[in-house]
Amino acid sequence: MLKQRPFLIEALTAAGLIAAPFLLPLIGFAPNTANRILVWGLFGLGFDILFGFTGLLSFGQSAFYGTGGFVAAYLLTRAGFPNVMLALVIGMIAAAAVGYLVGLIALRRTGIYFAMITVAIAEVFFFVEFNPLADWTGGENGLPGVPTPSIHLGFTTLHFTTGWSLYPFLAFCYFIGIVLALRIVRSPVGAVFRAIRDNPLRATAVGHNIHSYKLTAFVIAAAYAGFAGGLLGVLQAFMPPDAFTFDTSGQLVMQTAIGGRATLFGPLVGAAVWLSLQDFLQATLGLGAAWKLVLGIVFVLLVCFLRNGIIGGIASLYDLATGKRAAQEPKDVLPATNAPAEQPQPAAEASPARQTDAPSAPATHLEDGTTASPILQARGLTKRYGGLLANSDIDFRVNRGELRGIIGPNGAGKSTFFKMLTCEVPPTSGTIVFEGNDITGMTVTDVCQRGLTKSYQVNQLFAGLTVRENLTIAALSALRGKFRLDLFRRIQNIPGLSERVEQTLELVNLTARPDTPVSELAYGEKRRLEIGLALATAPSLLLLDEPLAGMSPRERVETVKLLKSISQGRTMIIIDHDMDALFELAERVTVLQEGRVLVEGTPQEIKNNTTVQEAYLGGVHGVLAA
Amino acid sequence: MINWPNFVSQLFNGLALGALLALISSGLTIIYGTLGVLNLAHGAMFMIGGYAGYVAFEYTHSFTAAVIAGSLFVMVLGVVMERVIIRHFYQRPHEDQLLVTFGLGICFVEIVRLLFGSQSQMVPPPPLFQGITSLGFMFYPTYRLAVVGIVAVALGTLFIVLYRTRLGMIVRAGIEDSVMVDSLGINVYRVFMIVFGIGAMAAGFAGIVNAPVVSLTPGVGDDILVETFVVVVIGGVGSFPGAILGGLIAGEIISVTSMFNPSYAYVMLFAAMTLVLVLRPHGLLGTQGRE
Amino acid sequence: MSTKELRQGMGSGVSRRALLQAGAGLAGGALLPISLSMPVYAADHPAIGTYPDGSSGSSVFIGIAVPRTGTYAVQGEDELKGWQLAVEHINSGHELIKKISPKTTKGVLGKEVKIGVADSAAKPNEAVQAQQRFITENKAVLLTGATSSAVAVATNKLAQREKVLYVAGISGSNDTTGKDCVRYGFRQNFFGQTAAAAIAPVLVKQFGKNKKAAYLTPDYTYGHTVTKAMQDHLAEAGWTTVTNQVSPLGAPDYSSYLLNVVNSGADVLMNVNWGHDAVLSIQQAKQFGVLDKMKLVVPYQVPFVARETGGLMQGVYAATDYWWTIEDKYPLAKMFNDTFSKKYGYKPEWGAENAYISFAHWARMVEETGSFYPPDVIKTYEKGETIPSFVGDVHYRPEDHQCVRPVIIVKGKMEKDMKNKEDYYDIVEIVPGDGLMQKPDAFGCHLGDYT
Repeated sequence: MLKQRPFLIEALTAAGLIAAPFLLPLIGFAPNTANRILVWGLFGLGFDILFGFTGLLSFGQSAFYGTGGFVAAYLLTRAGFPNVMLALVIGMIAAAAVGYLVGLIALRRTGIYFAMITVAIAEVFFFVEFNPLADWTGGENGLPGVPTPSIHLGFTTLHFTTGWSLYPFLAFCYFIGIVLALRIVRSPVGAVFRAIRDNPLRATAVGHNIHSYKLTAFVIAAAYAGFAGGLLGVLQAFMPPDAFTFDTSGQLVMQTAIGGRATLFGPLVGAAVWLSLQDFLQATLGLGAAWKLVLGIVFVLLVCFLRNGIIGGIASLYDLATGKRAAQEPKDVLPATNAPAEQPQPAAEASPARQTDAPSAPATHLEDGTTASPILQARGLTKRYGGLLANSDIDFRVNRGELRGIIGPNGAGKSTFFKMLTCEVPPTSGTIVFEGNDITGMTVTDVCQRGLTKSYQVNQLFAGLTVRENLTIAALSALRGKFRLDLFRRIQNIPGLSERVEQTLELVNLTARPDTPVSELAYGEKRRLEIGLALATAPSLLLLDEPLAGMSPRERVETVKLLKSISQGRTMIIIDHDMDALFELAERVTVLQEGRVLVEGTPQEIKNNTTVQEAYLGGVHGVLAA
Repeated sequence: MINWPNFVSQLFNGLALGALLALISSGLTIIYGTLGVLNLAHGAMFMIGGYAGYVAFEYTHSFTAAVIAGSLFVMVLGVVMERVIIRHFYQRPHEDQLLVTFGLGICFVEIVRLLFGSQSQMVPPPPLFQGITSLGFMFYPTYRLAVVGIVAVALGTLFIVLYRTRLGMIVRAGIEDSVMVDSLGINVYRVFMIVFGIGAMAAGFAGIVNAPVVSLTPGVGDDILVETFVVVVIGGVGSFPGAILGGLIAGEIISVTSMFNPSYAYVMLFAAMTLVLVLRPHGLLGTQGRE
Repeated sequence: MSTKELRQGMGSGVSRRALLQAGAGLAGGALLPISLSMPVYAADHPAIGTYPDGSSGSSVFIGIAVPRTGTYAVQGEDELKGWQLAVEHINSGHELIKKISPKTTKGVLGKEVKIGVADSAAKPNEAVQAQQRFITENKAVLLTGATSSAVAVATNKLAQREKVLYVAGISGSNDTTGKDCVRYGFRQNFFGQTAAAAIAPVLVKQFGKNKKAAYLTPDYTYGHTVTKAMQDHLAEAGWTTVTNQVSPLGAPDYSSYLLNVVNSGADVLMNVNWGHDAVLSIQQAKQFGVLDKMKLVVPYQVPFVARETGGLMQGVYAATDYWWTIEDKYPLAKMFNDTFSKKYGYKPEWGAENAYISFAHWARMVEETGSFYPPDVIKTYEKGETIPSFVGDVHYRPEDHQCVRPVIIVKGKMEKDMKNKEDYYDIVEIVPGDGLMQKPDAFGCHLGDYT
């Protein structure tokens, strides 16, 4: 509902911010509460990008809030810096720089480790601010006397003081913040953020350098935190030392979860709920110290029953009321890839691009006329897990344009072999040469960027996104490289993206359901999308790990047809247990047994090979011969 | 005060601090290792162990009763928490688990604050361990000395449970490879419940044992929680030996730094953690398994 | 007395008008100062801060931010009772309040006093946040609260910026009326400098010259200034500092610090820690045998520390603002003790005393001024008139707004000598305030503007 009118959210936000001071007093909001909510909301914008969109839950945002706040406050109070706005920006830059350094350490690990490390780092910041840096930060006294901003407009000067007079300034800052945040989440970078949140493993595998993207999200969050920290000082004419404490981080996390993650407005709503409940419980109901317990219980209930917070809840209710199923409308502010049905592009622009950039199939890495040369060559590949030898001394060569099958009984080491080829696991010994380059020891991302990727045996999809978004993410890596900081670029403006997505949709036969969330797809459709993800990265060599696994006979027939059409002009290696299908598809077949190459040849040769029959096919020989 | 007697005293004190941290951290780490849930309410459970023991002590005036009550109460609380809430979060993302346990931790602290107020409560050490013991090179509170022994016994018991029983084998196997355990047809959910109970009990036990040392306030678990994070990160998440090693290292760092300048104790602790992360991202004794 | 916040139609109306102006200002016009649009009630005075809005109705509002959770919660609750009792007395025109503020009839200038209470957790940020709300929402005419000098300093600055009077709750730092003093802030209670000046001679007389002292100092403005003041005063008698253990607020374990102390060879342990930190560090000092090796001194007495440490304060010297047994000497103190303990069931400690008396003094100043106009009320304070308190006659210094008042030196009673369960201390000496205080400009106080 939001993607057709790209400026709708911005306009509504502006209207809301302008209307708020006229409406809020009617329901008993004090100006300072409104101002505080804005500061928390701005703080939360960055955090929501980090947590809601990228899936990185940091309990250490206070470190950056405090850093930005103290740098700005120091400049304004002790260093005699005259310009409030400039000081705020410098504070923001300082926080971002610190965020970059902290991110380098914290992002060495993910998930729970990451959360713990951020807690610990935030604690260090508090101690450092309190002790070694006390001469600059005022230690426990903080920095009092932060001035309020004045803006010279030539003909007049605007003074922002306190209360409602400061509100326009903060509202303006928040508005800029939300506009930038919206741009970011709608940019290609924003799409990759969501991919990382939903499935970091696959985001890596389709060729995105997720570490750099995570660091980007971390720095963005730190910058927002730093700016908000500076505003806190301006708001209360005092930069308090407690801005650095763990409680601040905890409150931010809770407010974001209460309001709704991945909504950008969640932290604002959460802060409004938090601060008004705090006022209400403490002052009006006279609950005194119990106010925090009530908030804690509200928080736990929301986490348990309303995963997407208040905004998520409202969205679900709205969908219910309008007869839509909740799941059909993803809660995120969507990155709108170019849906031709909705946004017809000038044909003149679109069609030449399609002709030049993308020929019959999006296999940009494929060069013509060299079909006989090897595209992939592995020598002496060995993988040892402790005492277990998974693969032993495998020599393997695939020529350009070939369709190779790999078979072998369970435990033959097929999947390990694939994982080594795509550089998901490093070989214990041996080398892999792809398109003439030694790729041994490279990352899976780099290998994908070079045109070698894999579809997984067990689906690795971006489960929270739609079919189109899934393919967009994969296509982005081929079109933008493994890392690019086009934070403010519109995703629609990437040349060739929508064409590639459309082509892939056609290839994997999902054109009918581009906007369906992955969670609603049938199993067969998910399998096709799994292959589509690999295809959208435009690989010159595509590895398919059991593409037919778990399919019904009818689905198998369809998928075999699909694989055939994909294989046009492409090099592929397929592992599968469905021997009939594989013999029908493959030009040559390699048989693995106990981690070694048993034999290699055309399907006919393999069928007739006695060693294979004895060692592997024994029981089903009759079937094969028939 | 940099002199030999003080150095030796601080080293010893570091051992005492470290032993307690090791016990609390091992509870956190086995829950995480087995269930994959990082319990942010662990610090609150440490605190509740102390308060439950305090209540029992007020009624019975027996320290033994206080220890039993504190441990059992928190174990039951852990089991209930696992059954009622945590169980529904196994299938949800890590982030949700963190959020819900974080929220529960706050609720626990605030409930205790509501019931007992912010004023500190005292549980006196048992008569047997009151007073001061001379160790030759230093005087040390007898009870703190006893805590080292008590914690050592508790860790030993935990070791036996983890390394010499069938349950322990399942738990350790789960830490190595949770999928495998699933496929062995073991009722993992029952195991999860028991592990959560044991892990919580370790915190509760530590809480009541520590109560005579620090006196109780509702916030007593908050700082401990952050320290246990550092311990498990240093030792390796999910590793029981790592928790013990990490605990002892953390204790010594805090104590020895305090000899020079106590205000840098925490900074040094976190610096050590950063160093470990850079050199050995999985912790000193951690495995690659869990993330 | 009502702690319920009142929201007058008046307040939000003005706010909206002010905002309309802000909007107009943004739209291109000049941003008028809010004050110009305010209806002027008192003909002679321009609007300033919450004046005249805050005092134009039938009641006036006082904002209180006090720690009800955290390390200083116990002392905070005691302070709160002092304020509540003072407000009750002011509103009912109690006899006690009339002794301090003779012109008081009922309320202040006939207006009922209402209060709003917020939990500051002894954190400056929380306190400032709450006070800002009280100012904008309730048009508070007076702010109070502290129990942490960091909070006092922060509220000082807020008061000066918002032009609303502030009377400090418990605040022991020299800075509160020293380098961080403000025109709009006043402090009644004793502080680091006066505590040290009063107790140092007693200590020298008791323990002798050239002693070695170890300090336990909480790491914030109060702790550092008290420790510094003690060191300076004792240095004159040849005392040296062998170690100064600085610990964070709310530290759970003092073992490392105490080991440093025990191995330092000190004769006297100066425990500057406060609130729950004091209780804990004293208990642990006992456990580590520190108290057997050296004498404990608490330079800045902590309310309820004797009760909470269960006998460990016996024989310990401390400087304090007030101890209830001075009632033998001061009749007003007796009246205060009686009304307080009748209402709350225990003898007030100095937090409650300071709270009560600073409200009473404020009420007196406003009555004397005849108006709530803050600059005039400040000028009344600055006349430096001698006024009554529970510890005899006192006055406020115009140069730094510090109340010149005696410091009471007490010594913990042995259990056998205690006449009742609250008889924890002997009064050793009541040191007159005049000689104790530094020169008004010694700590770099610049009060700032009236308007």
